[in-house]
Amino acid sequence: MRSFENYNPIVVALYFLLTSSIIMFSQNPILLLTAFVGAVSYFLIRNRENTLKTHLFFFIIFIILTLINPLTSHNGRTVLFFINDSPITLEATVFGAVSAGIIVTVLYLFKIFSSIMTRDRLLYVFGKLSPKVALILSMGIRYIALFKERTRKIVDSQRALGLYKDDNLLDKIKCDLRVFSILITWALENGIITANSMEARGYGKQRRTHYSLFKFRSADIIILSVTLLCSAVTLTFIFLSKLDFVFYPTIKLDDLNLFSISAYISYGILSLLPTFNEIGEKLKWSYLQSKI
Amino acid sequence: MELLTVKNLTFTYPNCKKSAVNNLSCSVNSGDFTVLCGATGSGKSTFLRLLKREISPNGEESGEIFIENTPISEIPSERIGFVTQHPDEQIVTDKVYSELAFGLENSGLEQNVIARRVAEMASYFGIEDWYDRDVSTLSGGQKQLLNLASVMISDPDILILDEPTSQLDPIATSDFLATLKKLSRDFSLTVIIAEHRLEELIPMCDRLMVMENGILIENGDPAEITAKLDRGSKLLLSMPTSVRLYHMLGEKGVCPLTVKDGRGFIESNYKNRLRALDEKEYAHGDKKALEFKNVYFRYERNLPDILKGLSFSVYENEVFCILGGNGSGKTTSLSCAAGLRKIYSGEIKVFGKKLKDYPAQTLYTNCLTLLPQDVQSVFLRNTVREELEDSKTDINTLPFDLSQLLDKHPYDISGGEQQLVALAKVLSTEPRLILMDEPTKGLDAHKKQILLEVIKNLKASGISVLIVTHDVEFASLCADRCALFFRGDIVSVGTPREFFSKNKFYTTAASRMSKGYFDYAVTVEDIAELCALNGKKSEEKQL
Repeated sequence: MRSFENYNPIVVALYFLLTSSIIMFSQNPILLLTAFVGAVSYFLIRNRENTLKTHLFFFIIFIILTLINPLTSHNGRTVLFFINDSPITLEATVFGAVSAGIIVTVLYLFKIFSSIMTRDRLLYVFGKLSPKVALILSMGIRYIALFKERTRKIVDSQRALGLYKDDNLLDKIKCDLRVFSILITWALENGIITANSMEARGYGKQRRTHYSLFKFRSADIIILSVTLLCSAVTLTFIFLSKLDFVFYPTIKLDDLNLFSISAYISYGILSLLPTFNEIGEKLKWSYLQSKI
Repeated sequence: MELLTVKNLTFTYPNCKKSAVNNLSCSVNSGDFTVLCGATGSGKSTFLRLLKREISPNGEESGEIFIENTPISEIPSERIGFVTQHPDEQIVTDKVYSELAFGLENSGLEQNVIARRVAEMASYFGIEDWYDRDVSTLSGGQKQLLNLASVMISDPDILILDEPTSQLDPIATSDFLATLKKLSRDFSLTVIIAEHRLEELIPMCDRLMVMENGILIENGDPAEITAKLDRGSKLLLSMPTSVRLYHMLGEKGVCPLTVKDGRGFIESNYKNRLRALDEKEYAHGDKKALEFKNVYFRYERNLPDILKGLSFSVYENEVFCILGGNGSGKTTSLSCAAGLRKIYSGEIKVFGKKLKDYPAQTLYTNCLTLLPQDVQSVFLRNTVREELEDSKTDINTLPFDLSQLLDKHPYDISGGEQQLVALAKVLSTEPRLILMDEPTKGLDAHKKQILLEVIKNLKASGISVLIVTHDVEFASLCADRCALFFRGDIVSVGTPREFFSKNKFYTTAASRMSKGYFDYAVTVEDIAELCALNGKKSEEKQL
């Protein structure tokens, strides 16, 4: 068993894509709740310390988004109270809370996703789509680093030469323009050397392949199949309208039946998959450690 | 066995009357380690590029090149590997492993084949530790090693290198050349390398080629060729210390190539009754041009200290050289002195006045200036003329001649010329203190000589110079005082003679060669003078 982030990036990317899109499609509070629990628990496992600020920030977003809906929409039958003669209804408040919950949960998922998907993982995913795109991205990233370094060097040199005065706006603009123009010259100049180096190593002769550090192991296949199966079940019942949740005019959740229960269970497994994986891994590790 | 055959190769660039390569014929045997030398502009690079079809220059070409009797145009590109002098620009991708795999990806190989070859290469070249790092975090030496590895991964028959170590410091250079030697020995790889720093290369090569004005003037055994070099030739300046000593003394017979041979040569031929030259006492003035007092610096709050209680003084009208390894904080100390980085503790005084007491910009007018390591970063305009006009420099007042370069783009001139143009710009602010960061990087021996003259002239006109360099030979020639920088502080200071003769390892080849036989001899000139004064052993026997 591996830590969830170390599964094949394609599997991980697909997982996050499916989990987040299902809750965005469904607007079902029970699905939302499981997704929220899954996302937050995995987030907490990944980041032990200094998470208070993030939670607080997301909580404030949640409150604001929840309040906006009942203040602007007055649909629904159950009136809670009046503000300036406008009714504030229970239904509009619940709708606001569910929408805000979806956004916050997706934000949590995105935060985890962006911390997992380092550059080489993203490049691997793109490389599977097209080796050329992967190469262009990789070269682009390299060039940005070179450009930054170069700009810093040139600006420092010019400052120490003292030809352009820092406190004179006209001088400063003139200097910045010239620095920019020489950077272009420099980039073109070096582009030739890079192009030569590429050609000297046989670029463009044949169809390229893409090499990366990631492999497809059997554990990846297991996670992938679980992800696909659970998503398929949930999505099928969503599209068959078995999980509908009606907000207006009054809140109504369909009674539980075999279909909806199996969908809830599938999505529960899906959203808690990373958390289960981490806990399982930890148990296994402490068992192995006890043998050392 | 003959691997590479060149017959009557002539090449002329468009719009040029003179050919860059003129009627060149040679052959290289399989497994030969060949060094190609010659002054800047002698046609070395052009010749090497003609051997690699994909990057050959455009122009008029005649003659034939064969590899094992196959014309070179029919040879697949991966059979000839090529490494250039630019460590950074040769790298294509952002990660070390993807750079290694680049050539194999181009050949369309499968993932598992690539994985195996990449792993093999990384282990052989010792790059496992930085295998998944970003290339932008590597040092120059690591980058060049990566370039070598990513060329070698395609398993070429011939490896061509065009001044691969010109941007590296001496330690990285030694490492790089050692790896190269190991490659040629372990795999009987055929290597052709053009270089102008020959101290270490000449002893390790099987064959030496010398080019001058596009013509191959010498081709053969290194010891024979070095022995018959002309005493006044520019090429001699870049030769190993022992070879230069041999020629200075006007010797005949076998030419010594290494420090060890050189030592044997001195001991068996010359007496050492007089062990040291008279030294003039060096006395500096008491006015300080630059003073560091207990300076501490770090780049970010959570990073380690780069300068740790650094204290030293440069006196007025003094040439002060700071030597030391890579990453010891030498360059950082210059940036701090120039006010580009803010120190967090301690004090820096320039001409007796605290750095922060200089109001905006007054520090950089008639006071202090910095010649950066990467001199290209000084240039902003399209011609040298515009550059000099910008800085209001009158070329007639300069201590060197730039008139040939005025209409060229500053990026198109050679490294040495760039150094001089940048220096001209720097001098235009009429500084009293010049900070130079690695001024000899990428210069050939002749250009170093010119720079040496320039620095002497600057000193004569009353300017103080602080030089940060790896180049011990250069420091021994130009400095009034030298200092060794180690882990953020200066550990020893002294005049070149006392500094280099006390150092055992971090010292000039001449000092290593003469240690224990002569005292305080740190340059070839010193040894030659001592030898001449002492006289030959053989003459004594005849009497």
